[in-house]
Amino acid sequence: MKKIIGAAFVLAGVIGSTHAAEACGTVTIADMNWSSAELIANVDKFILQEGYGCEAELIPGDTMPTGTSMVEKGKPDVAPEFWSNSFSAALEKGVKEKRLRVAGDSLSDGGEEGFWVPEYMVKADPSLATLKGIKANVKLFKHPEDPSKSAFMTCPAGWGCQITNANLYKALKLEEAGFELLDPGSAAGLSGAIAKAYERKKPWFGYYWAPTPILGKYKMVKVDFGSGIDAEHYKACIGQADCENPKPTMYPPSPVKTVTTEEFASREPAAFAYLAKRSFKNAQMNGLLAWMEENQADGDVAMEYFLKNNEATWTPWVPSDVAAKVKAALAKL
Amino acid sequence: MSDASWLTEFPQMDRADLLTIRKTLDGAYREFSRSYGDAIETFFNPLLMFLVWFEKLLLASPWWAIIAIITILAYTATRSIKLSLGVIISFSLIGYFGMWDNTMRTMSIILVCTFLSIALGIPIGIMMARSNRVQSIVTPILDVMQTMPAFVYLIPVVMLLGIGKVPGVIAVIIYAIPPVIRLTNLGIRLVDPEVLEAATAYGANKSQRLWGVQMPLAMPTIMAGINQTIMMALAMVVIASMIGVKGLGQPVLKSITNQYFTLGLLNGLAIVALAIIFDRVSQAYALRSQRHLKGGHNA
Repeated sequence: MKKIIGAAFVLAGVIGSTHAAEACGTVTIADMNWSSAELIANVDKFILQEGYGCEAELIPGDTMPTGTSMVEKGKPDVAPEFWSNSFSAALEKGVKEKRLRVAGDSLSDGGEEGFWVPEYMVKADPSLATLKGIKANVKLFKHPEDPSKSAFMTCPAGWGCQITNANLYKALKLEEAGFELLDPGSAAGLSGAIAKAYERKKPWFGYYWAPTPILGKYKMVKVDFGSGIDAEHYKACIGQADCENPKPTMYPPSPVKTVTTEEFASREPAAFAYLAKRSFKNAQMNGLLAWMEENQADGDVAMEYFLKNNEATWTPWVPSDVAAKVKAALAKL
Repeated sequence: MSDASWLTEFPQMDRADLLTIRKTLDGAYREFSRSYGDAIETFFNPLLMFLVWFEKLLLASPWWAIIAIITILAYTATRSIKLSLGVIISFSLIGYFGMWDNTMRTMSIILVCTFLSIALGIPIGIMMARSNRVQSIVTPILDVMQTMPAFVYLIPVVMLLGIGKVPGVIAVIIYAIPPVIRLTNLGIRLVDPEVLEAATAYGANKSQRLWGVQMPLAMPTIMAGINQTIMMALAMVVIASMIGVKGLGQPVLKSITNQYFTLGLLNGLAIVALAIIFDRVSQAYALRSQRHLKGGHNA
């Protein structure tokens, strides 16, 4: 008897899931390994699953491998927070060849890159908020392996920002000022170095980007180059490895997009419409990231927190019947 | 229904409690790193100075001198023309493909790591072989060192010591030292008790038995351990470069993120070449010293 009941349950489950699958199908979402991407991926998963009846699945992966796999293999279907600067050529090509489609901005203000110093240093000496002040105080930023030199911590080997850093290093004449490029090796090494400096209130000068939990947790000041933003020159020269004559410019906001495969966009227009609308402001994202950091929350927990407390933000992203379904599912969590 | 939920779902700790534990431990570590970080950094400073000096020495020496020294070392250790030629060819290729500087950096850090591993590992192995209690304590520690994912301890170490060579050396040693400890222990324990008995009968004391009987007889096993230590140290090069250790690992990381397969392969092959040279030289040296020992025994 028990077996029959069990079988009936299994059967019901199968039928139930095929129903759901008919409504939308299986969606694979790239789950990138930093907090904001994790949060957005979990929000997408929950809304697509509960609101649109998709079988959503998260696939871990970094920007480069995910982007390549989307172009070459058509999997995963959705990359919810794609920093397109580091993948711009391949992204353009993918869109042109009808393999990828850009749904919209995940962060409507765009990502903020720059050279930063800790806030406590600027409080002690306000001139350090400008490049001139940094150069005048070059001796503060001691190189860990050679006390006679100073260190500028660049972006990890192989990232797109390594090129922009190297070009700006030349353009801003940091070498003449006595700075040497110091490669942290990985994102974890870079954030570890910031944490170390901050915990001991030591000088630090280097590249970082926002919105990130690190900049949410450790208050930093973006150094003003006194040059303004020259977006044209940035795109044409600073972002290119063979830039011969780099000129100083601040970082223009970097586009952070939601990217899907063309196949997904044409198969699931309703879900695609949601992804096109789903977008966060930096201020809100920083707040969410700070909450995640404070509570050591992973994407799953943060998703619940966000959806429960920010109804006004996410309900406009979806039609009202979908919103009702998501709310009902939320109540059950 | 809810009363029986522990039957279907694992009764897990309340999220709030878990969070308190996580935050308290993290906070305690921050506190520790804040108060003792500088002192610990000062403690490791001589090592850092030595690493920097050794790297500079290797980088500043002319390439032909380095190849000559390594070839001479290889030849005196192995007496094999073939291997010496192999050394010359592989180093020439490394230089020709533009990997000379990075190879020197990697070589300097790996040499230091290997020496430190042997200097620390063999005494620990001897202690383990002498006492079952030490063995029962050290074995699980070695298991943790070999299986714990490197980043779990790397980032706390970075918070303590910053990025760079010293954390890199610590990470490499943690990963690479277990084989030499384990095999020293094993080699000594495998020495035939009757041989030891004979040595005791001839009036050998404890240290005479160790250095005159146990260590020479355990040597082949210990050398196998050293060989594994060298191999694992070289395998850690890429992980070490993730916390800012310069060398062959960095181009490998770069090629992984950018999918430059050839660049990755070339640098990977340079690591392999270093490993093979280190290994063949140390093994041949061990074999020759063993043969010598056996020859004297037979005569």
